Amino acid sequence: MKHVLFAASLGSAVLLAACGGASSTNSASPSPGSANIPTPPAASITGAGSTFDYPFFSAAFYAYNQKFSQVTVNYQSIGSGGGIQQFVKKTVDFGATDVPAKDSELQPAGGSAAVVQLPVTLGTVGLAFNLQGINTGQLKLTPKTIGGIFLGTIKKWNDSALTADNSGVSLPDMPISIVHRSDGSGTTYIFTDYLSDVSSDWKDKVGKGKSVAFPVGLGAKGNEAVASTIKQTPGAIGYVELAYILQTNMPQASLQNRDGNFVIPSPEGATAAAAQFLATSPTSFSIVNAPGKNSAPISGYSWAMLSKEQTDKTRGTALVDLFDWLVSDGQQYAVNLHYARLPANVERDAIAALKTLTSAGSTLLNVPSGS
Amino acid sequence: MSQGTAERVVPPPLALRHRRQRVDGDRVFEGLALGAGIVILAIAGIFVLALFLPALPAIRQFGLGFLTSSEWNPVTLRFGALPFIFGTLLTSAIAMVIAFPIGLGAALFLAEEARLRFIRVPLSFAIELLAGIPSVVIGLWALFILVPLMRTTIEPFLAHTLGFLPIFQGPVSGSSFLTAGIVLAIMVLPILVALSRDVIRVVPRSLREGSLALGATKTETVWSVVLPYARVGITGAMLLSLGRALGETIAVTMVIGNRAEISRSLFAPGYTLPSVLANEFTEAVGKIYQGALFELGLVLVLITILVNVLARVMVWRFQGGREPTRV
Amino acid sequence: MNRLAARVMLDRLVSALVILCVMLAAIPVLILLVFVVIKGLPGMLAPGFFTDLPHPIGVPGGGVFNAIIGTLVIVGIASLVAVPLGTLVGIFLSEFGRNRVGDAVRFVSDVLTGLPSIAFGIFGYTVLVATLGHFSAISASAALAVLMLPVILRATETALVLVPNALREGGLALGAPRWRVTMQIIVPAALAGIVTGALLAMARAAGETAPLLFTTLGNEYLQLNPGRPMGALSLTVFKNALVPYTSLQDQAWAAALLLVIIVSVTNILARVYVRRVQR
Repeated sequence: MKHVLFAASLGSAVLLAACGGASSTNSASPSPGSANIPTPPAASITGAGSTFDYPFFSAAFYAYNQKFSQVTVNYQSIGSGGGIQQFVKKTVDFGATDVPAKDSELQPAGGSAAVVQLPVTLGTVGLAFNLQGINTGQLKLTPKTIGGIFLGTIKKWNDSALTADNSGVSLPDMPISIVHRSDGSGTTYIFTDYLSDVSSDWKDKVGKGKSVAFPVGLGAKGNEAVASTIKQTPGAIGYVELAYILQTNMPQASLQNRDGNFVIPSPEGATAAAAQFLATSPTSFSIVNAPGKNSAPISGYSWAMLSKEQTDKTRGTALVDLFDWLVSDGQQYAVNLHYARLPANVERDAIAALKTLTSAGSTLLNVPSGS
Repeated sequence: MSQGTAERVVPPPLALRHRRQRVDGDRVFEGLALGAGIVILAIAGIFVLALFLPALPAIRQFGLGFLTSSEWNPVTLRFGALPFIFGTLLTSAIAMVIAFPIGLGAALFLAEEARLRFIRVPLSFAIELLAGIPSVVIGLWALFILVPLMRTTIEPFLAHTLGFLPIFQGPVSGSSFLTAGIVLAIMVLPILVALSRDVIRVVPRSLREGSLALGATKTETVWSVVLPYARVGITGAMLLSLGRALGETIAVTMVIGNRAEISRSLFAPGYTLPSVLANEFTEAVGKIYQGALFELGLVLVLITILVNVLARVMVWRFQGGREPTRV
Repeated sequence: MNRLAARVMLDRLVSALVILCVMLAAIPVLILLVFVVIKGLPGMLAPGFFTDLPHPIGVPGGGVFNAIIGTLVIVGIASLVAVPLGTLVGIFLSEFGRNRVGDAVRFVSDVLTGLPSIAFGIFGYTVLVATLGHFSAISASAALAVLMLPVILRATETALVLVPNALREGGLALGAPRWRVTMQIIVPAALAGIVTGALLAMARAAGETAPLLFTTLGNEYLQLNPGRPMGALSLTVFKNALVPYTSLQDQAWAAALLLVIIVSVTNILARVYVRRVQR
């Protein structure tokens, strides 16, 4: 009996060592507790895209570099549209977008069959505003008023539609300055997806997309600039990813969800919304206006795009190792920044998708399944 | 035979050899220099192609209607350049309206009045220093200092006093055509002042002195003698500054509000050709969208070239065919 | 009031207006500099500004070391191409350029000077990014080199043209070949103007942002390989200006101050050098 046990533990130790060794040329000892996080080969990776993800990526890639100094990930937040475009043109190793790229957009890169899109984060969009004396949660917005504001039919803060829902607060006699995205944005897609769902007026007049013709408002490039503009413009309101709102202490509105409850957008709300859907895929991904009493109404996943066939094996290996970490251990950085952790089934699907990446025929990801 | 070090006597065979050397060495040198010149022409040619070729799909698709359409919709792939042309022209016009009187006045002062070096030099220096400040720094200042100032003070003031004019009506947010125009005026002033000053200096003293001798005041001399004489040159200076304003990218992008819409109000946000290129270039997916952006770039380049060539012709003609002064 | 008095009063009024104009023209730069110094100095004096890499957003501290190196590398490579080439073309224009080719070059150079800076970015992208398949510092250097060429070229030509012909004739009379006369007599005589032109062009390139936006893209890490994306000071200012994090906005001001210092010092040095040599 003793011999069997001994042989078994020796065998598994050898196996683990082999697995760990197979995916690294330059060893940096992995920290304890993450024995199944592969050690990546040295690489300098470039990615671009979504500003929605940027706070998360900024912290996560920095931490990853602290852990594995042989890998530097240079991520430039240029908007989801930029992420798709630069990925398709192959000027970056991966793209990030809050709305998965369509097959037609991916044609120059070989179509959706040649590209792997995996969810990397779950977040939610809030409506940040700038009104003196009014703080988070004190402003209540319903789908109708949100639609009216962004369509331009509600022009002033003390419009009767707004004061009706906000009897406890004194709204000023001030014009509403809307701030929207000027660049191709997945955040815009998520927001306009929601508006199209709740307002038939919006659906007819404007529609949903990464870049729509907003009837009114100032344009700003990136979630960062929208947040910045709102902060600097009294009377402004705009849609911003939650991390930016919370990191910079901006007041945000309380939003009425599908069930009629007023919720303040939060990671828990995003998780509640995501839980209403069985799974997510690049073709079925929308979780806006989800039912459920705690669901945050404007939530969404954000996606990374990788080429299925990686021509450079070292870089490809580093890429899959990076994303394997990002959707599992790396999620702690998302949680710290008020994104929601990827649900377990989504994480599993993401890793399964990573396993389909190959280089010259051989699979790049070498970890035991299940984390 | 030879006196002093200036002459060199060379025996005939050496001279022959030397002459061939000279010819070879000179030929190589001339060839290199000529080659360099041709390289410049080649670079310019590549430049034109780099802008023109990717624009072809859009040119074929939209034709001349591109210049008159106001729709800019990346979703339905319908593109038109009009809002951006409008924004570019409007902001530049505002800049010239503000900068021209101030610049001309400053140039007059520096050329005519300031005999005293200790006044003239620091003032010239200050104005020239502005020319060297990077556009992004001016944009940074404009974004955090000028935009709030416009929103809280200047634009409301204009709305209050001149609000009967449609250009001063409408909601105020700080990021607007007017703000961008003011930023452009600041950026264009140094060139305008420097060029105008040089032009005014060229006016012959005898003309001035003659006018003064006849009893005219300095103002009357400037108005009736100096300015008419320098008119062509000053127009050229103005056009060159306009060319600079048309192409300014970064500072304008930071304060214009990024809205592709034609508006009657100067307080409204807008968009210029360089700004939309800076913002949307990296995300244009597909040949048509990309082509449309390249076509915008082409339009911008053509407008600036036109204005610049016109300007240089005028300045050159004014200076009697001499080389125009360098900026 | 009689006519004379009226005219004199008008004259005085206009003189006052003209003084106002020159004040208005000189004031913006002072206001600008004051703000940049006040808002930028604290950030610049903060520990780590020059030596640290940027921190992830939301984490205070960090610096612009990578951006400083990036600016130096990008402008350095651009200068390595533009200065020799521009000087050579300037020599061509001044010594051999009184012909149609010379006129064409001058025209092209004038046109290039007036182009919007974003056009150079588009050029850099089409020629070196789309073709090679990735963003890189070299593509930014290419864009900047084309931007610098007309400046250097014209400064060189002007400086050489100003050298009296007597020097040329004297050299040739001594039997020296043309190339020797030019390289060993004329160019050294014009060196002040040429160096000034080069310095001014480099200062201008260091401050440019638009040509860098979609050529070098940017990089939060230190990158020494010019074939990969690199950060730059002007990009740091531009990007940090548009984020809602005050620590990054402060860094934008500090980087802006650094840029202004670099550019202004170079400009002043160039002009002082010219004046001193011309004595």
